[in-house]
Amino acid sequence: MTRHPILMRRRCLFLASATMATGMLRAAGVLAADFPQQPITIIVPFPPGGSTDLLARRIGEKLSSSLSASVIVQNRGGAGGIIGSNYVAHARPDGYTLLFGVTGTNAISASLYTSLPFDPRHDFIPISVIVSAPLILVVNAHEPIQNLEDYIDSSRKNQNSMTFGSPGNGTSMHLTGAMFAQAADLRLVHVPFHGSAPAMQALLSGQIQSLFGDIAVMAPQIRAGTLRALAVTSQKRHPAYPDVPTIAESGFPGFESLSWQGIFAPAATPAPVVDMLNQQIVAAVKAPDLSQFFALRGMTVEGRSVTDSTAFVNTEITKWSDVVKKTGIHIG
Amino acid sequence: MIAHSLHDLGYGFTIAFQWHNLAWSLFGVVIGNLIGVLPGMGVLSTMSILLPLTYTMHPVAAVLMLAGIFYGSQYGGAISAILLNLPSHPPHAVTCLDGYPMTLRGKAGTALGIAMLSSFLAASVGILVMIVASPVLVRLADTFGAPEMFSIMLLGLLIGATMSRGPALKGIAATLLGLMFSMVGMDAESGTMRYTFGTFNLADGLELVALAMGLFGIADFILHANKPRPPLAPLSLAFRDMWPSRTEIRQALPAALRGTLIGTLFGAMPGTGPTITTFVAYALERRLSRHPERFGTGMAQGIAAPEAASHAKTQVDFIPTMSLGIPGDAMMALILGALLIQGIEPGPQLITDHPEVFWGLIASFWIGNVLLMVLNMPLIGIWIRVLRVPYRYLFPSAIFFIAIGTYTTQNNLFHVWEVLAFGIIGSVLLVLDIPVAPVLLGFVLGPMLEENFRRAMLLSHGDLSILIRHPVSGVFLALSALLIGSIATARWIRSLALMKRD
Repeated sequence: MTRHPILMRRRCLFLASATMATGMLRAAGVLAADFPQQPITIIVPFPPGGSTDLLARRIGEKLSSSLSASVIVQNRGGAGGIIGSNYVAHARPDGYTLLFGVTGTNAISASLYTSLPFDPRHDFIPISVIVSAPLILVVNAHEPIQNLEDYIDSSRKNQNSMTFGSPGNGTSMHLTGAMFAQAADLRLVHVPFHGSAPAMQALLSGQIQSLFGDIAVMAPQIRAGTLRALAVTSQKRHPAYPDVPTIAESGFPGFESLSWQGIFAPAATPAPVVDMLNQQIVAAVKAPDLSQFFALRGMTVEGRSVTDSTAFVNTEITKWSDVVKKTGIHIG
Repeated sequence: MIAHSLHDLGYGFTIAFQWHNLAWSLFGVVIGNLIGVLPGMGVLSTMSILLPLTYTMHPVAAVLMLAGIFYGSQYGGAISAILLNLPSHPPHAVTCLDGYPMTLRGKAGTALGIAMLSSFLAASVGILVMIVASPVLVRLADTFGAPEMFSIMLLGLLIGATMSRGPALKGIAATLLGLMFSMVGMDAESGTMRYTFGTFNLADGLELVALAMGLFGIADFILHANKPRPPLAPLSLAFRDMWPSRTEIRQALPAALRGTLIGTLFGAMPGTGPTITTFVAYALERRLSRHPERFGTGMAQGIAAPEAASHAKTQVDFIPTMSLGIPGDAMMALILGALLIQGIEPGPQLITDHPEVFWGLIASFWIGNVLLMVLNMPLIGIWIRVLRVPYRYLFPSAIFFIAIGTYTTQNNLFHVWEVLAFGIIGSVLLVLDIPVAPVLLGFVLGPMLEENFRRAMLLSHGDLSILIRHPVSGVFLALSALLIGSIATARWIRSLALMKRD
């Protein structure tokens, strides 16, 4: 950003010609053994302190010790993760600048925004999708609603006035609610907040009636009996809540909404570097202490390979673009 | 129940006095204090940089350190507001109003002394409230929904618009300007971009830190860069000149107590934020004073009340964070995150499952505040020496820190340009003699006002009467009407008197 644009252009030209000239040689020349030679920066596209930030810092710390280079976690928050993602999309593709991406930044954004300065599908290569977790539909424990059927009945009976909160417009919690409303042919009133804490506060004090929330954030309240879990949004039931049915099994086959996190590199990052980072990251997330941390937060360790992650992210992009199209939700 | 709390508190002190906990607490408050003094340095980024330190610590020490940074920074924030007119922490903008004029009068030491003593008093009361009243406050918080928030914000705006010196019309204009600035960014409800000119840098709106730094500090620098400032009254570094005089204490003490009360009340309403708290405390003092026209020239009450309010609110804000596991802001979220990394899940069970964390923290608040007092009172002499640095060095270095500090809030250079833009806007406003504090208030309260209004409308399905049917909301609306009514009547009576004289 501080660099002079003309200099930048020149550097790009130079790089482009150098790449063309050396062609194959260059691609083969980047050996994983030479990597890393300088600190690696993982960009978290959210402000410090949030759940994504904490996760990135744990993984960054782990990678620092397994790679022989320091790994710096840097927050570049803003615009729901678009600022940080855009920064990495246009960063030098050498493996030293990576993105800690989530469902919102690397799948939903592809269709949600009327204009986006980068292309989530083609500007990134997913190094690995690390963890995933379903959302969980909760209501205040004082509500008479006991299960998903009650929830649907109650929203029908009360002339479509059932409210659901979300941490903001266009978040996966918002889209999941809208997706469910459409699947069940209901009208749910969406009430956006700034972040999940105020949404939770509103649910606990009875201002809003329901929430499709992060399992990790909802877990202590469910355990304390202040919130009641009605359903999870994954295909299979969640190991920590074996009694809570999935939406899919409750008459909406195929219904799935996952909130996942992964590490992404700019698309042109050399394959050997990507593979090497993939191995290190997968090893890091499968280490016992991190696995335990994920389990506590209700997350499933994915640790996918590069091909697998690419396929997964592409499916997610297509799936969410379908939801965006059907619900008409957009930002811009 | 109170006896039980006192017993638990005693337990908390045994924890907080363990030497390693004490050491981390001291480390936290010292770092926080320093960060707070540096204009624009983000407390949040400091906390997140130091977060890895906590991985290997005991959870109690981790929380004590992080909390220490948080409230320590508030003591520091008052220092730069008073000495340099730089509200490094936006709620301190109000402290600038009378603190900085006091500095210009050569009484920087007194101003700092008043700020420290009021803060300490308020924090102590806030801690007591946490101990004895937290269950009540938690229940009270539940009665505050969107309609209540809307009405409180409306009252806050009216108070802010009418509290500044000079003609009321200018104050209102400044508030409206602040409201207009707050319109920039994504509309929370529909996702529509407003005044972003196609750049995602503006999608979250303008940056509060940039606005505060630009309107106050930079604007002042721009105007004074090329002309010698009015010579400061000679600085005295003798201790008796730093300690407020008996008359000043007599003026400041009731103001600090009222400020504490306001801070505690606002603390019970999560989500109101510290800025409205300090503005309301200041406005109340001005209204109660027999010499409202002297506010803005260096009144002891004008420093004591907002400082007390902000510190009381800070302490009371920990109640929802610790007892419900719901963080009030990003700083609180980070503290809870540190617990999470340690395998302690913040939530309603925290106090029963991990009493050592909760009570240790409360006890450490008190210890930390005592440490901050002990640390800062002797340091006042050193802080005010900053004023002896020639302006040709002081200005550039302050600007340097502002630029770095603003950059680190989001690691985005765009925000540094915003500081410059607001600096220019601020100096234009200063030349036109339009107060800048209401601009800041309008900017902070604007989005809260709008979002809570629209949320209230969503929840009531468009029924406006929800604002009156909710009793708390109704009371605040009535107060707003009363305020407008009293100002209008006062003007009418005055013009009537003028007409008679003619």
